[in-house]
Amino acid sequence: MKQTVKRKEPDFIILFTTMTLLAIGMVMVFSASAVIAMENRQDLYFHLRRQAFWSILGLAGMIILSNYDYWKLKRWTNAILLASFLLLLAVFIPGLGVEIYGAKRWIGIGGFTGQPSDLAKVALLLFAAAYLSRKDIRIGKFTEGPLPVLGVMGIFFGLILLQPDLGTAMAIAGTVMVIIFVAGMPLQQIFLLGLSVTPLLGYLMVSKPYRMRRLLSFRDPWADPLNTGYQIIQSLYALGPGGLFGVGLGRSRQKFFYLPEPHSDFIFAIIGEELGFIGAASVLLLFFLLLWRGFKVALMAPDLFGSLLATGITAMIGLQALMNIGVVTGSIPVTGINLPLISAGGSSLLFTMCSIGVLLNISKHVK
Amino acid sequence: MSRSVVSNITVKKRLLFLFFIMALTVFLLILRLAYIQFVMAGDLQAKAWEQWNRGVPSRAPRGTIYDRKGRLMAGSASAESVIALPAQILDKEEAARLLAPILEIDEEKLFEQLSQKSASVYIKRLVDEETAQEVRRLNIRGITFAQEPKRFYPHGNLASQLLGFVGVDQGWSGLEIYYEQILKGRDGRFEFQADGRGRQIPQGIQRFIPPEDGHDLVLTIDQTIQFIMEREMDRVMLESQPKGIISIAVDPRTGEILALAGKPDFDPNRYNEFTSDSWKLSPVTDSFEPGSTFKLVTLSAALEEGKYRADEGFFCGGSINVAGSSIGCWTRGRGGHGAIDFLKVVLGSCNPGFVTLGQRIGADKLMQYLKAFGFGVRTGIDVPGEGIGILFSPQQYGPVEAATTAFGQGVSVTPIQQVMAVAAMANGGDLMKPYVVKEVRDSEGNVVRRQEPQVVRRVISEETTREVTRIMELVVTEGSGMNAYIDGYRIAGKTGTAQKVGPGGRYIGGEYILSFIGFAPAEDPQILLYIAVDAPQVGPQWGSQVSAPMYKRMMGDILKYMNIPSSKTQVNEAPKMVEVPNLIGMTLEEAGELLEPSGLLVRLIGSGGSILNQTPKAGAKVPLHTQILVYLGGEQVEGEVPVPDLTGKTMREAGEILGWLGLVMNSSGSGVAVSQDPAPQTRVNVNSVVNVEFRTPGDTDR
Repeated sequence: MKQTVKRKEPDFIILFTTMTLLAIGMVMVFSASAVIAMENRQDLYFHLRRQAFWSILGLAGMIILSNYDYWKLKRWTNAILLASFLLLLAVFIPGLGVEIYGAKRWIGIGGFTGQPSDLAKVALLLFAAAYLSRKDIRIGKFTEGPLPVLGVMGIFFGLILLQPDLGTAMAIAGTVMVIIFVAGMPLQQIFLLGLSVTPLLGYLMVSKPYRMRRLLSFRDPWADPLNTGYQIIQSLYALGPGGLFGVGLGRSRQKFFYLPEPHSDFIFAIIGEELGFIGAASVLLLFFLLLWRGFKVALMAPDLFGSLLATGITAMIGLQALMNIGVVTGSIPVTGINLPLISAGGSSLLFTMCSIGVLLNISKHVK
Repeated sequence: MSRSVVSNITVKKRLLFLFFIMALTVFLLILRLAYIQFVMAGDLQAKAWEQWNRGVPSRAPRGTIYDRKGRLMAGSASAESVIALPAQILDKEEAARLLAPILEIDEEKLFEQLSQKSASVYIKRLVDEETAQEVRRLNIRGITFAQEPKRFYPHGNLASQLLGFVGVDQGWSGLEIYYEQILKGRDGRFEFQADGRGRQIPQGIQRFIPPEDGHDLVLTIDQTIQFIMEREMDRVMLESQPKGIISIAVDPRTGEILALAGKPDFDPNRYNEFTSDSWKLSPVTDSFEPGSTFKLVTLSAALEEGKYRADEGFFCGGSINVAGSSIGCWTRGRGGHGAIDFLKVVLGSCNPGFVTLGQRIGADKLMQYLKAFGFGVRTGIDVPGEGIGILFSPQQYGPVEAATTAFGQGVSVTPIQQVMAVAAMANGGDLMKPYVVKEVRDSEGNVVRRQEPQVVRRVISEETTREVTRIMELVVTEGSGMNAYIDGYRIAGKTGTAQKVGPGGRYIGGEYILSFIGFAPAEDPQILLYIAVDAPQVGPQWGSQVSAPMYKRMMGDILKYMNIPSSKTQVNEAPKMVEVPNLIGMTLEEAGELLEPSGLLVRLIGSGGSILNQTPKAGAKVPLHTQILVYLGGEQVEGEVPVPDLTGKTMREAGEILGWLGLVMNSSGSGVAVSQDPAPQTRVNVNSVVNVEFRTPGDTDR
C-alpha cells in the first residue's frame, strides 16, 4: 500500500455534522430562550447573541486546531493540566468563583463566566492519551499504565464533585476510562478496578440525600411531581405532545416557564416538542454520524497518541450527548449535563469545538 | 512512515466494541423517544393540557324555589367574592397588611394564601357590599372580584325544614339537597392556556363555556297555608311548651303537600346558629306510635270487610282478654265504656271494641290492609331522609300483636304515612303518592318537568270512605273531636293520644304525643290536616285540649283563605250549648276522660293532684268551646302565688279564681276583664290586692 506524505482533507462528515448541529443549536437556543430572556432580561436575543459569540469563538478555535498538528499538543499537556487544576481550585475562591443555584461551577473574569470543568475535560483526555501512548509505559502493568492516569483523574474528579457537579465528574471519569480501556488495560484489571470503585460510587450516591432521590425519581417521576420528578415530568410534557412532526418551530408551550433551563440542559425536550420525533431523532442520528466518524478516525490514526486522542474526544462528546438525551427522555437519573454543540453554553461550546478541531486534524493524517 | 503505526489488534477490537455499545445506545434512545412520542403521547398530552389550561369559574345562578302560586320561597342574590391572582401581586406582604383588617382574616394566613402557586385563590367568599367597596378602594393589583350567588330565604323560618339550606357551594338539607342537581345548573368556565407562572400565553387557545342556569322549582306548598300552620304551631310551642310539633296539610285528591312543618325549626339564612337536629324534616323523617288516629285504618278495614255494624251492641268492661293477656281500655279507671254499640266504640275510641273488630277482620287480613294503606314502606315523597316506620314482622305477629295493632299500639309510623292513609279515606279510596315539587322550570320559565298526581293503589271502596267520613264527622260533632268543630262546615276528624316509646322500647311515663287528623269539607274533602304535639310541658296532655283546638284554628283559617263556602247540607251539627260536668274531687286523669268528648276547653290553675274547684259550676249550660277554669290547688302553700290571667273573665269568675288563690280583687267597670295589675304570672303574697278593670264588650268593640 502506498502512503502519501501529502496532507489529506479533513473528514468531511465530521465537519458537516458539527456545523449542522451547531446551526440547529443556534436556532433552538433562540427559540427555547426567547421567552425567558424577555422576561428575565427584557432582551429577546440575549441568549442568541451569546450563543453566536461563543460559536464564532469556537469556530475560530476549531479552525486553528485543525491546522495545528496534533502531536505537537503533547508538549502543552502538562501546562494545560496544571492550568485547569488551578482554575478548578479558583471556583472556590470568593470573588472569583460564581455561585449559581448553590453550586460553585463557574468563574467570572470581566463580563465572562466559564466552567473550568470544561477545560478540565479536555486537559485530562489530552493527558491520558499522551501518557498512555508513551513508549516507556507498559499498559499491562497497573502501577505503570493505568494508575497514574487514574490518580490524576481522581484528583480532578474529587474537585469537580466538590462543586458539586456529579454529571460532569461522571462524564470525565467515563471519558478517561474509555481511553484507558482502548489503550489496552487488561480485562482482569478493569474487572478488579470496577469491583473496588463500586463501594465508593455507592457512597457518593447515598451520602447526599438529594442524589438518591434524584437517582430514583426518574423511574416514576409522578411519585413526587413537585420536587424530584418535576424536571422529568416537564420534559415528558414537552416530548409527548410533540408527536411525529412537533408543534412547530417556536411554538413550544413548555418553554413558558414550565421546563427549567429550556435552552441548556433540556433543549433536547424543546427540540422534541417543536420539531417532533423527526427532529429529535435527526439530532440523535447526527450525533451517531459524528461518533461513527470519530471512531473511524481513532481506528485509522497514524499513531497511538492520535488514536487515543481521537477516542477520548469522540467518547467525551458521545458520552455527554447520550447522557443528556438519556436524562431528557427519563431513561437515566437527572444529572446536570448539557447537549454538546446544541445547548446554550459558553466555555463548554468553545472547548467542544476546539476538541473537534483536534479531531479534524487527526483525520487529516489517517492512513 | 517513520511514525509508529497503530497496529495493535487489541486497540482496534476495543474501539469496535465501544462503537457497537454507543450505536446500541443511540438505537435504544431512538426507541425510547418513539415510545414517549407515540405510545405515551396521548396520556402525556392530556396531562400537559391539564397543566397548561387554567380556568376562571363562572358560576351558574342557582334555581329559585316558588310556592304553588309563584311566590318566592328561596332565591339567589349576587354577592361578591374576593379573589387573588398571586402572580400579579407585586408586594404580597403589603397587600396582606392592607387587606387583613378589612376582610377580618389573620394577616399571616392571608399572606400565605397570597403566596400560593396557583393561578387564582379565593380569599373570602361572599362579602357584603361595604367590604367589597373598601377592598375596591385599595385598588391592589392582582386582587379582583367574582360575582357569586348567595342564597336567601325571604321568610326566614317559614318552611325551613322543607326548603333546607345551601351551605358551602351546595344544598345541605331539605329540597336544596334533594333537588341539588336540578337547582345548581352547571358552572361555566373561561379557559385559557397559562405559562408556568399562571399568566395567559399570548397565542394560546382560549374559550368560554357559558354557565347553564339552574332550574326553578314550583312547589305544591301554599305559602299562606304554610304561614297559618306555622303561626299556630309557634303559638302552641310558646303556650304549652311541647318538645316539638309536627304538622302536615295535603290535598287528599292529588297527594300535593300544601304545607309541611316541624318545630322547633331554624332560619336557613343563619343555619349555622342552630343545631343540626332542627334541620331535619321531622314530619317525614320521624316515626312514632300512632295511637288512636290509627283506629281509622282498622275501621276502614272492618267496613270494607263487612265486619262493622254501627248499631251492633258491644260491652266494654275496661279490658279485653287476648290469648291470655289482658289489654286495657283507656277508660279502665272508671270500669270501661260499659254497654255501648259499635258506633260508640269508634266515637269513644274504645280499645277492646277495636280489638274485637281486628279479630273479626283477622290478623293476616288486617296486616294486608295496613300494607295496602302504605304502612311499612316509604311513601316516596320527594324530600330527603324519609323514614319507614316499623310493623310487626310475620314471626313476631301473634294474636296479641294483632290486637294492639288494631288500636294503634306496637307499631310505628311516620306522619306522612298516616296522612296519606287518611287521604285515601277522604278521596274515595285511592292511596296517593305525596309530592312537594309540582313543576320544574328552566330559567326562561318553560316547564321542563311536571308532576302529575299518582295513584299508588286503590285501597278501599268509595262506599267505605263515605261511611268512614260520616263517622269522623260524628267524632267532631259529638265525640272527642268536638273542640275541632267549626260552625258552618262539615269537619271530619279523629284525635289521638299515644304514649311515647323510649329508646329501650318501653313507654315513657307521663309523656304523650297528642295528635289530630281530619279533613274538610267532609262532603268534598279539599284539605287534610294532621297535627302531632309532642309532650306538652304546660297544661293538660289531652288531645282534645291541645291538638283539636289547634286543628280548629288552622282549618278555620285555611278554609277561609281557600274561599271554601260553608257547607249547605250540614248533616250533623255539634250542640251550640253544652253542660259543664262536675269535676270537683276528681284526679286530673279522671277529669280528662270526662272532658274528652265534652266540647269544652280547660284551663288548669295550680299544680296539685286533684281538682278543688271549678268555674263555671257543674250543670251550667255554656256555649261550645267555652273555657272552664279548674283549680288544682297546691300553689298557695306558703307566702307567694302567681297572679292568674283573668282576661275575658266575668267579674264573678274573676273574683272566684282570685279567691281560690287567697287573693283579693279590686274591680272597676263592668262586663269582662280587659286589664289587670299586677300582670299575669307575677308572683305576689297571699292576700295581695289585684286590680281588675272590666268593660262591656260593646263598649270597645267596633
